[in-house]
Amino acid sequence: MGAPGKTTDAVLACGEVRTCLLPTREAVDQQVAERLLRLRADEPVRVSKRPNRYAVSPDVLTGVDCRLPTANGSKVRAVGTVTSRAALVEGRVLQATAYFSAPAGGPDRRRPWGYYLVRPGVLVPIGKVSPRAVAEGFLTRHHQDELDVGSIAEGQLSRISRLLADSFDPPLTTTDTRVRWAASPASDGDEPPLRFTVAEDGLRTLDLRLPPGTAPAAAAALCEDLALHDWLLTTVVDKLDGLRLGSADGKAALKVLRPLVDHLLHLWLPKARVERPLEALWDALEQEPGFSRQWETQVRRVRDQLLLQAILTQREALGASLTTS
Amino acid sequence: MSGPGTVFRETSAQPATKSVPFSHLSLELGHLYMEDFVEGPDRLRGHFAAVRPWVDAARAGVGSLPAGKRPRISTCFLIDDYFSRLSTPAELIPPLLAAAAEAGLTIDYLARESGCAVSQPGRRDRAELAESVLHRLVESPPPGSNGFRPPVSRTGWLTNGRRAPSGRTSAALDATGAVWEPPSETGARGHSVFMDVELWSGPEDERTWSCAFLASVWQLVRLGLLRDNGEPVLTPAPWDAKEFPAEWDALPPVVRLNPLAAPFTAYATCSILPARFLPVEHAVRVILDQVHVEPEALRQVTVRSQGEGITVPAAVVDRTSYVFPPGL
Repeated sequence: MGAPGKTTDAVLACGEVRTCLLPTREAVDQQVAERLLRLRADEPVRVSKRPNRYAVSPDVLTGVDCRLPTANGSKVRAVGTVTSRAALVEGRVLQATAYFSAPAGGPDRRRPWGYYLVRPGVLVPIGKVSPRAVAEGFLTRHHQDELDVGSIAEGQLSRISRLLADSFDPPLTTTDTRVRWAASPASDGDEPPLRFTVAEDGLRTLDLRLPPGTAPAAAAALCEDLALHDWLLTTVVDKLDGLRLGSADGKAALKVLRPLVDHLLHLWLPKARVERPLEALWDALEQEPGFSRQWETQVRRVRDQLLLQAILTQREALGASLTTS
Repeated sequence: MSGPGTVFRETSAQPATKSVPFSHLSLELGHLYMEDFVEGPDRLRGHFAAVRPWVDAARAGVGSLPAGKRPRISTCFLIDDYFSRLSTPAELIPPLLAAAAEAGLTIDYLARESGCAVSQPGRRDRAELAESVLHRLVESPPPGSNGFRPPVSRTGWLTNGRRAPSGRTSAALDATGAVWEPPSETGARGHSVFMDVELWSGPEDERTWSCAFLASVWQLVRLGLLRDNGEPVLTPAPWDAKEFPAEWDALPPVVRLNPLAAPFTAYATCSILPARFLPVEHAVRVILDQVHVEPEALRQVTVRSQGEGITVPAAVVDRTSYVFPPGL
């Protein structure tokens, strides 16, 4: 994203990331991951094994011609394409992202469609827009007739769900999350580089100020990474919440704790695919509220409980063998 | 993530897109149905005689090139072996080449239409071209589209606007009082010319691709904009033999008949066609306007053409042109 000025430069990027557990009993291997993410026969699924196993589908474009949400209610029509893609982390967590970038202004009327297709992932406004008004509107309101990137991301998830219809068997129940994000170029002011808000029903909003020149795809990758870790944290906290750890029945606790160890605890790896200039934004979240700090506390709790259960089980077994002998 | 300071790279995470050579113009010397060939050599001679003056016009139309540059123009001819196979290559091709030569024309490249539809013989690992292009369609959204619409792959039809709402069309018979609403062309100038293009027919596992859709694939192939997992597609195979095989499938999808020909793929295409193909080519333009070409393939054309001091239109559909001469 460039600084506001030239009308062709993006002054805004917005998107939504949906994160959920892949609903199969076990994590899928690379071959299955490629099959699930293969949207086009002529373009490969990109796979990466370092620093963790990651596979991402080719980008898909969806054409839109509708009003953009604006905080001040001003009517702004935009035409162009929204980019979407699906990704699998360690064959276990599924993410779908839909995002676009927008310049500060565009032609006064809609151009032939070919004009927009050579600008993939760009929504060109008819006339001028206020980037802040759109960013705030995108994060805070949703009106039926306005742009709906969430349903574009959802479309990716449902396509994969259809492929998995026969093997639907999730090892634990989890809540899906939606991270809606808007990124504007950072100015010289002392605004915080990011504002992360946890709302209800799995919705989070993320207001980002990025270094000028950041590619929208890099912003999307940062948000996917943040969304993944927020989802992991949310899931583990939810599972531990209300769990009667001190109760005599250790088996019930084990039933909850074991899937966490089997499927989720090894997935924590912040900044795995974040461009270096954007790592500072992660660091801001580590300062407050302290994502990794909270995660480590939770993980320690899970491990301590499992250790305790193991000791208790051993003691019981020992006790039983003593009484029978 | 990769960046200038990247010390670790995985090739499977960053696939490469191979480049292809480019002529300035790919000139198509007509198109005939199998039935036309059956009519005999006079029919073919008449065809090329009618095409000839427009070939000269198209050559002249390439325009001014930077000093000292000769225009690179290659000619091609597409044979329909997909919808019907009334004859064999051995019977059909020699009279065709002879008729062209009589009019003073050389067919540099000969292509088979089924090459645009199915994977290359002996290359089962290759994707079907038509299928690949289908997955690259990004529908032009009518005003009001905010992100939800059934994808084209489910309906098999592609429009240049918005269809009339389905339901009863007779206002007189409709008890609910619903009135007929017309379809509309997106971006129409005043009044609409609405078009709904059938891309294929038949069940999904044995689709018959429509002539319009295959003609769109043909245009994209000539423009050098298609790749299969980064590799060029329908690369011309040299053909030095005087004889042609008795089976269409024994002939490579695109053969280079003239060893001295300029590259098959080009910055722009011009097709000289009988006027009866005008509706099909209108459909081709509707389709090409909605194909999302791999950005890296587009970028390669931009870089190469700029290096030559040539401007190539940004939109893919604007790279194609037609001549519908009389008497063809």
